[in-house]
Amino acid sequence: MLIYTVKRLLLIVPTLLAVLLLLFSLSYLLPGEPAEIILGPRASDKMISDINEELGLDKPWYISFYLYLKQIASGDFGTSIFRDVSVLNAVLSVLPYTLILTLTGMAIAVIIGITIGLLAANYESTFWDGLLGIFSFVFASTPTYVAAVLILLFFSIRLNILPVMGAGDGGLIDGIHHLIGPALALSVGWTGYIARLTRSSMLETINEDYINTSRSFGLPKSFIYYRYALKKAVKPIVAVIGLGIGRLLGGALFVEVIFNRPGLGRLTVDAIFERDLPMVRGGVLIAAFLFIIANLLADLSYAYLDPRIRNK
Amino acid sequence: MNKTNYFKHKIIRNFKHMKSDYRFYIAAVIILLFFTTAIFGPWISPHDPYKTDVRNRLQSPSLNHLAGTDNIGRDTLSRMIYAARPALYVAFGGLFISIFIGIILGTTAAYSGGIIDNIIIFLFDVIRAFPPIVLILVLVAIVGPSLQSLIIILGITIMPRYGRVVRAETLSVKEEEYVAVAKSMGASPVKIIIFHIIPNIFASVLVLAGMDVASMIMWEAGLSFLGLGVQPPKTSWGVMLQEGYQFIENAPMMLIAPSLAIVLTMMGFSLLAESLRNALNPKSKNEES
Repeated sequence: MLIYTVKRLLLIVPTLLAVLLLLFSLSYLLPGEPAEIILGPRASDKMISDINEELGLDKPWYISFYLYLKQIASGDFGTSIFRDVSVLNAVLSVLPYTLILTLTGMAIAVIIGITIGLLAANYESTFWDGLLGIFSFVFASTPTYVAAVLILLFFSIRLNILPVMGAGDGGLIDGIHHLIGPALALSVGWTGYIARLTRSSMLETINEDYINTSRSFGLPKSFIYYRYALKKAVKPIVAVIGLGIGRLLGGALFVEVIFNRPGLGRLTVDAIFERDLPMVRGGVLIAAFLFIIANLLADLSYAYLDPRIRNK
Repeated sequence: MNKTNYFKHKIIRNFKHMKSDYRFYIAAVIILLFFTTAIFGPWISPHDPYKTDVRNRLQSPSLNHLAGTDNIGRDTLSRMIYAARPALYVAFGGLFISIFIGIILGTTAAYSGGIIDNIIIFLFDVIRAFPPIVLILVLVAIVGPSLQSLIIILGITIMPRYGRVVRAETLSVKEEEYVAVAKSMGASPVKIIIFHIIPNIFASVLVLAGMDVASMIMWEAGLSFLGLGVQPPKTSWGVMLQEGYQFIENAPMMLIAPSLAIVLTMMGFSLLAESLRNALNPKSKNEES
């Protein structure tokens, strides 16, 4: 396990370097001269060359790439072009919102999903199983943004029980109140997915020999189900949580835009529309980093749960 | 029997199994509806989707406008019907691009081995290291938003899935006797890849593609919703969702109609994927591909 972990950790370095290279090359790939976008069409040559020097565009690309790496390594992500704030501060100030949203969404998906899945497995091949099955399937086929606009429409506008936008005034209760809609919207797809996964995994487990044996010993059904079967049936679900967090981080972007919530996704989208290059780089870098970490956790949990990978 | 032939064989044998699967029929109906709408849209839509009529704006559903009208009086149902076409273009165009590039890179990697193999694998890993949405955003920022760029960008973003499968399958097919025979008769690697390897790995690539259609449709609408895909006044389910979002307090049908279209289409293709997966491996019903 240790060797696998180290190997897996080492893989992060070249990947992050490649991500940095792509982000760095953005200043060459984006249409238009960066200095012109910042200063507008009537800038003097002196101002343009000053900006180019600041962005490192006056040197050959490999030197400015080296300088960029050095800058990132020292924790300096640059300054936003339009808002006069340091990119790192801007990103760090919205990051908690995205993390809370993602983790809450995942928690909801896990809790509701497992409950639905266990109920369906318990009432296998009855009307209730079918109904729950349809629900989970519709949930699993609903994209995050559709869930978000529909929740906004029904709960915030029609029923007026949830706030329409923002993340609250800073108070805990208000914050939670503002989190319900977005987190539910984010969780919908994975709730369906986890429900279906739980059902099939549970049904597979209760047909195993050791479950049949304990049944033949006359142990009560609920005891067998929730003490013995659940322990094994829940493994594939644990294994997909890491993967799910990576996916939900992407989905959070839509939720943040639709509910007008501060967050990493909305920051990046806004920066792309404004062509705020340092901000785009900072947002994408942190997003990619989080995604890499989530994938790492997913792989490690797979390996932890599956000895065949662990010992390879 | 080698792995690929086994796969192909299974598809054919299990088509019987699929035919007895009710999900396959529901999927077939929805998908047929989607294709009909996308192809024959201009003939079956009740109104001109671009014709504005400000006096009848934001109407609720009526006999004349079955799904109501939008903020400048265009018929929502007709716009919904016309929007099936961009979804079709993006889904199949994007998949075509990723299959095409995936096959070239995958076979090259498997066939050359060594450093080229490692470079191509690393390329796949780097693309997969990005959260898909972020990679797409960055690429859209570079090339500018439009239907065409969306097709290319989505194609590149999901290409590694195909590249990896093609590479793995090629590695096993390459060891087959008929490849050795072709090689001994002096066939060039390119010839072997085109005539012997690709035909044998194509079945598994198609199965994978069948599973990806739903997510491509989801991406098209999602990115158009953000303003990074199809641009108004052209219509797309995502564009309609964006317009509905702006009039969320006045005309709920503007949101509900495209939502239904997206969810229904995704359900159709997910059901197809599921019955495909089920036919190939009846044991793993819900596993993530």
